Amino acid sequence: MSPYERLFSPAHAFEHPVTVWLTVALGVALTVSPLVLLTLGRRIAETRRQRLWSRWRSWLVLTLLLVGPILLGAAWTIVAICVLSLLCYREYARATGLFREKAISLTIVVGILLITFATMDNWYRLFMALTPLTITLILTVALFADRPQGYIQRTALGVLGFVLFGHGLGHLGHLANDVNFRPLILMVLVAAEMNVVFSYFVGRTLGHVPLCPNTSPKVTVAGVLGGLVLTTMLVMLLGTSVFRGTELANWHHLIVLGILISVVGQLGALIFASIKRDLGIKDFDVTIPGHGGLLDRFDRIVPMAAVVFHYVNYFVGVGAGQQVRIWTTFG
Amino acid sequence: MDDWNYKPAGDLGLSHDEAFKSLKRESGLIATALHWIWWSFVRAYLVLWHRLKVEGRENLPKVPPFVLVANHSSHLDALVLAAPLDLRLRDQIFPIAAGDVFFTNPAISAFAALMLNALPMWRKNCGPHALAELKRRLIEEPCCYILFPEGQRSRTGEMLPFKAGLGMMLAGTNVPIVPCYLDGCFQALRPETHWPVRHPITIRIGRPLTFADAPNRREGWEQVANELQAAVKALRTE
Repeated sequence: MSPYERLFSPAHAFEHPVTVWLTVALGVALTVSPLVLLTLGRRIAETRRQRLWSRWRSWLVLTLLLVGPILLGAAWTIVAICVLSLLCYREYARATGLFREKAISLTIVVGILLITFATMDNWYRLFMALTPLTITLILTVALFADRPQGYIQRTALGVLGFVLFGHGLGHLGHLANDVNFRPLILMVLVAAEMNVVFSYFVGRTLGHVPLCPNTSPKVTVAGVLGGLVLTTMLVMLLGTSVFRGTELANWHHLIVLGILISVVGQLGALIFASIKRDLGIKDFDVTIPGHGGLLDRFDRIVPMAAVVFHYVNYFVGVGAGQQVRIWTTFG
Repeated sequence: MDDWNYKPAGDLGLSHDEAFKSLKRESGLIATALHWIWWSFVRAYLVLWHRLKVEGRENLPKVPPFVLVANHSSHLDALVLAAPLDLRLRDQIFPIAAGDVFFTNPAISAFAALMLNALPMWRKNCGPHALAELKRRLIEEPCCYILFPEGQRSRTGEMLPFKAGLGMMLAGTNVPIVPCYLDGCFQALRPETHWPVRHPITIRIGRPLTFADAPNRREGWEQVANELQAAVKALRTE
């Protein structure tokens, strides 16, 4: 597959069986859910019904916005992840107050855009170099205000914001440089969201002991363990097909990948719960009706993206065989 | 080790429409960029089309907080009054606009918030709570307000009596209030017309006044309103 086909052509969208399975499964889930809600009708309380409808509408829009670009091509996927990174940074900056530091915020936005360019170009060295370079730039532009009071706080918040949403989420975009990017990214997204569902249901059924009550009172030990086991099984099921013919298709690698996705995903939820508790806010925003902010929905994916990327990259090589520096190689 | 102090956005948790109307609204990068673009355009338009002249620029305070007050006879007034202010202060300058005119339609509300950076004043039910919030923001943030104490546009071009609500916000504070007189705005955009005509506009900026000694009760509020009205009137005849 040529790089331009990978980037822009939807012709190969349903070439991989996992892409077909997951797209159909999401379509069925989004079609059946409203039918179930309609069937249940007035047997559930009005406020609960409204909330469930609101969540369904939000999931419908989110699924279209996420799955649509993945099916269309790698370039659209990378752009969609860039937009997600920028919106997540916006929520973080408004919640922490960092948005008032316009120079730092502008530097982070430019850093995210450059990361997107490096990803689009499949220029991994630039992608990795941009993190220390942007951090240095954040530390530098913060000097221009000549206001040493609060310098550490401002720059630390800026560096954390860039590392989480520029560098961290940028790895999800970089997965799009793999020829198999569609099933791989879909698997990561579905596994992350199913981990929430598994943890919720197991936690509600069997969970009595909270894991860390001060950080997230609803997270239980049973929920986390149940989510871990079920998510690992899901990753093994999907991964067998996604990584067919590579070293990662071995069952022990798939178990490790499943555990990594579950554990790091759960850690992501706890990281952002800690940030919210520290700030004294309930949700990061009201961007998604019924869910809160984007960060309340995608908290698991932020740290997970880099872990999955490097695990796959170490054993298989993300983008192996694909042309590097697509746009910046001249002559 | 002491805790760091965080201050989330004042309008965090509000929908876009609610945030546009909120007195706690704050500007992010996009709003800042829009303010710069809009005010640069307005400034160029006023200078090129209306030959805007600014008299008494040296009376403008360099840093917030301060309040600009002027006579009000045209929709151009807030644009003209904000034009001579430093572009770097753009996010801190808030024209106080009539809520029932600028914040009832979502599109106009978005324009008023994102371009003008206006804050709403609900004329029919502006309670002490809203004035207290405006006062808190003016002093603590600090920021600058553009206010028209007549409370409405004059339909004849003649100044109307200043309302005491301004005094409720500013009596007993050290915030400098700068009286200004807008000359030519009425002729450039009359209340009954929709498009401005080419007419020269002049702003006369007077010396700032403070009302730290004015009591924060009815007589103090009226003192603030009367003294400011007299100061603006005096600029008209200069």
